[in-house]
Amino acid sequence: MQPGREGEQSPRPASYPRRTISRLHSRHIFHAYLFIAPVVLLFGLFRVLPSVQTLLFSFYKVELLKDRLTFIGLDNFISLFSDEIFQKATVNTLTYVITIVPISAFLGLLLAVLFNAKFALKEFFKAVYFSPMVTSTVAAAMVWWWMYNPQFGIFNVLLRLVGLPGQPWLMSSHMALPSIIIFSVWKNLGYNMIIYLAGLQAIPQQFYEAATIDGAGPVMRFRHVTIPLLAPTTTFILIYDTILALQVFDQVFVLTGGGPANSTNVVVLDLYRQAFERYNFGYAAAEAMVLFLFILAVTILQYYYSRRYEVAY
Amino acid sequence: MRRASWFAVVLTVLFLTPAVVLAGAAKTITLWYPAGDITAGAAHFADKNLFSEFEKKYNIKVEAVALDYDTMQQKIFAAAAGKNVADVLFVDSSWLPGFLKEEMLEPVADAKAKAWLSAVSPEIVELSDYGKGRMWGYPQYGIDVYGLTWNKTQFKDAGLDPEKPPKTWDEFREYAKKLTKTEGGNITRVGYAIRHVGHPHGVVHKHFWAIYGTGGALIDDPNRLRGGKALIDTPHTKAALKLILDMLDVDKSTSLNFPDPRAAFLKGIASMQISETVSIKARQPKEAPDLKWGMALPPVEKAGDKPVTLLGAWLYSVPKQAKNKAQAWQLIEWLNSQEKDFELCKQYDASPRYKANWEKEPFKSDPYDQGLKQMYPYGKKLPINLGLNGIMDAMGGAIQKVWHHEATIDAALAEAQRQADKAIADAAK
Repeated sequence: MQPGREGEQSPRPASYPRRTISRLHSRHIFHAYLFIAPVVLLFGLFRVLPSVQTLLFSFYKVELLKDRLTFIGLDNFISLFSDEIFQKATVNTLTYVITIVPISAFLGLLLAVLFNAKFALKEFFKAVYFSPMVTSTVAAAMVWWWMYNPQFGIFNVLLRLVGLPGQPWLMSSHMALPSIIIFSVWKNLGYNMIIYLAGLQAIPQQFYEAATIDGAGPVMRFRHVTIPLLAPTTTFILIYDTILALQVFDQVFVLTGGGPANSTNVVVLDLYRQAFERYNFGYAAAEAMVLFLFILAVTILQYYYSRRYEVAY
Repeated sequence: MRRASWFAVVLTVLFLTPAVVLAGAAKTITLWYPAGDITAGAAHFADKNLFSEFEKKYNIKVEAVALDYDTMQQKIFAAAAGKNVADVLFVDSSWLPGFLKEEMLEPVADAKAKAWLSAVSPEIVELSDYGKGRMWGYPQYGIDVYGLTWNKTQFKDAGLDPEKPPKTWDEFREYAKKLTKTEGGNITRVGYAIRHVGHPHGVVHKHFWAIYGTGGALIDDPNRLRGGKALIDTPHTKAALKLILDMLDVDKSTSLNFPDPRAAFLKGIASMQISETVSIKARQPKEAPDLKWGMALPPVEKAGDKPVTLLGAWLYSVPKQAKNKAQAWQLIEWLNSQEKDFELCKQYDASPRYKANWEKEPFKSDPYDQGLKQMYPYGKKLPINLGLNGIMDAMGGAIQKVWHHEATIDAALAEAQRQADKAIADAAK
């Protein structure tokens, strides 16, 4: 029985003895815990426990097959900061993040604004733009690998058709990272578009009406109404995209394997190699911890900074 | 009372039935191998009849499971750590130092190793012996020997003798220039295709001939497991890297726009390439049936130098964590017996390992097999150092940096030297 519903008599809490309320309350708490127990257990088992283990491993030399852990303090972290390959991977990861996050957020917003209008086949085009998001990254990357092929790939065929020279794309240490970024923008765009679209549709119409009455044109309305009221959505997208971008792996692994000349090596790929090709699990765990701390710091920073622009309506 | 006795008998029979059934059933052992055309020999495991004779003879069922090559090392290691690994592993010899570093493999019994090493040809001894007759697995037939392959038709069209490959670096550069084709300033066919992208190990494999051909090496003692010093920042390696850099920048007879030398060669857009000849042999009938090609040892720096090329193999090994070690060794010994070596090599058109089998037809007079046999004595395997993965990563990275103009030869090799020495020291700890 829900209190306050029409046609039903509201129970008066004061009329119950205090012990009964307490018993009911504790029973509710017990039931609540019971309901969330499977999720908490699974989350603990597959998320929290490995994370704690990774933290521990980062202070050890880990020899899994020998069942041997040797405490080495901060040695893994010290080696990490003098490791040229890790430094290169960090720079590449940051370049990737700094480029892909604003570009895909901006393009996502642009598409969302377009799809917020009414036109024929809108839902179809929306599905087309969203489809890369639901495609397996590995499968899509394999297709793009062929599209980037300097001899037979579609991109160079198109370039040659318009009289431009073919590009080496993934074969060049200067173009490989931009090529991966282009792929990633294509892959993530649909998601940002949908989130922005939801944000746009949540903005009450009266703000636009009021702005129109005040004489604001479409650009002014977009600048002074839409963008500020989308701030929470933008914050979410920026944080979410940054976290994902810092963990980039699949597309790099498939498209370039980190090459040529480490030009596309990223932190997660480097830690994968340290762990599974060189079996330096402690060192890889230290890399994972550095990445975790970085993601945490960026997220906190973005969150607090963006609170300034929070709006309520 | 009588009823009770009957009841007891029925119960006993029911109790024993599962044990009797299980005792009679064949034991199943697993073998993991790489899927696809990574190595010609791995494809044989897909043949359902390959193990039927063994299964019948020993009452052991063999389950061969194909794994993705790119993640195979990772899966093997994770499975070994979880104590749920295959009984037999079919692994790339270049993975062995990493596995040995983790003490993951069972050694071949001394007596068996001794018998094997005395019965097989020298190149198989080179690939099997990990110091003082110690073996960690048996190399499969049809071993990899890296060789120069060239397109005879394109040689003829360029005015070159299709039966005479380049022997020295100067000839090599000259031939490559003549064979290169350009259209509108773009190279449409390279004289020589290089491997410059992908995993750094693959890059080193395909440039090994030039590094070792100048008298260089990757490490001071190739047969030492722990410790030692990398030999990367040396005049030999510098000369080897400069050869290709000159072909890229000065001769313009090779290009970074051609990703895979073997695919480029088979597609007719590369006239020469250096890689595993066995792979070209296996792929050519399907991918380029009209291609007329030759194979020879890679060129040397100057006339009179001894050519060097890379020998590689896939090995049958048993992990320490295997549940059915005895049966795994039984299978390996059966597959690698002299009789099976002859039978399977004949069936799959591969080169044998036993000295005695080389004396038999068709291997004795087959021109391809005899061509390989002439190349084998110049083959070297990769060093066995436990830090090999790090050495290869460092060297491969340096090669890529130089060819992609990311660094000068001196700077790239100095950095690689530091990284390789660190890898050797770390692995020795």
